[in-house]
Amino acid sequence: MDEFEHRLKLDAEAIQAGISPELRSRIDASLRATEQIRPVPESRAPGMNLWWASSLTGLAAAVIVIVLINWIRPSAVPVPAEQVADRTVPVAVDELQGLYPPWLIKTADFASPLEEELARLQADIERARENVKKDIDFTF
Amino acid sequence: MISDEQLVEESLAGSALAFSELVERYQERLLRYLLTRSGNRADAEDAVQDTFISAHRYLYSYNPRWRFSTWIYRIAIRNAARQSKGEIREVDVIADESAPDPLEECMVASERENVWLTAKRLLNQDAYSAMWLRYVEDMSIKEIARALDKTQSWTKVTLFRGRRSLSAELTEGASGAAGRQIYGRI
Repeated sequence: MDEFEHRLKLDAEAIQAGISPELRSRIDASLRATEQIRPVPESRAPGMNLWWASSLTGLAAAVIVIVLINWIRPSAVPVPAEQVADRTVPVAVDELQGLYPPWLIKTADFASPLEEELARLQADIERARENVKKDIDFTF
Repeated sequence: MISDEQLVEESLAGSALAFSELVERYQERLLRYLLTRSGNRADAEDAVQDTFISAHRYLYSYNPRWRFSTWIYRIAIRNAARQSKGEIREVDVIADESAPDPLEECMVASERENVWLTAKRLLNQDAYSAMWLRYVEDMSIKEIARALDKTQSWTKVTLFRGRRSLSAELTEGASGAAGRQIYGRI
């Protein structure tokens, strides 16, 4: 402790801070009148004590559901591959074909309008390109 | 000797004597500090009383990780701050400017000025409290920061500046005044 700290301590002690009997009795009286606040203990939820019962109920329910599903499901009998194919592809397909009109049209009939459109678009692009080129030539 | 923390435990267990012993240990220390903070002795005594009432009421919230002195000073400092803001007691008396500083009245007559009077004049309340807790109560930086609800960095810087300013004032006289002008009121 250096001189400065020593002086600070000494001067603090020089402050007269005697407690008068009146003040002490006031403090005691107010303390008697004041009750300590106690933290409220965290009350456990009523269901917390029955965790094992709810777990058992859930487990039992799961077992019952599994048993019921297995009980109701028919036993798996092996089915021959031909039968599976017949079930997947209906036999009536051949009969239904007769109900529809013939759709055999030449591919060119469908394709020619598109080819013409493409040619027109290409011509438009070519014209646009020439216009741009002219503009550039005028500019520079 | 039973420690403060043990007395707190006993008090929490229902012992009125244990808390009474804590009051005995801290009443003068707190009054001495609060006399330097409050406007008059009556206010300081009220602040001491309020501090013990709060401490008693909320004793369960005391964390033994900290020293009891840190905790009770924290309450006292808050009470003093609230009192100075007029939250606790309405001051309905017009201050008499000719009246001496209440701290001055409590000083033992001496040839030189009490250093705490100088400190009160030079430092702001937080810096003053930090100096008091450090040099009178021997608290660590961590404890002072806790008591004042400040950071440790703030506490270190404030103590450093407070000491420098006070030393300059005490030792160099006129040059101290110059130093004060440079650093202002801390």
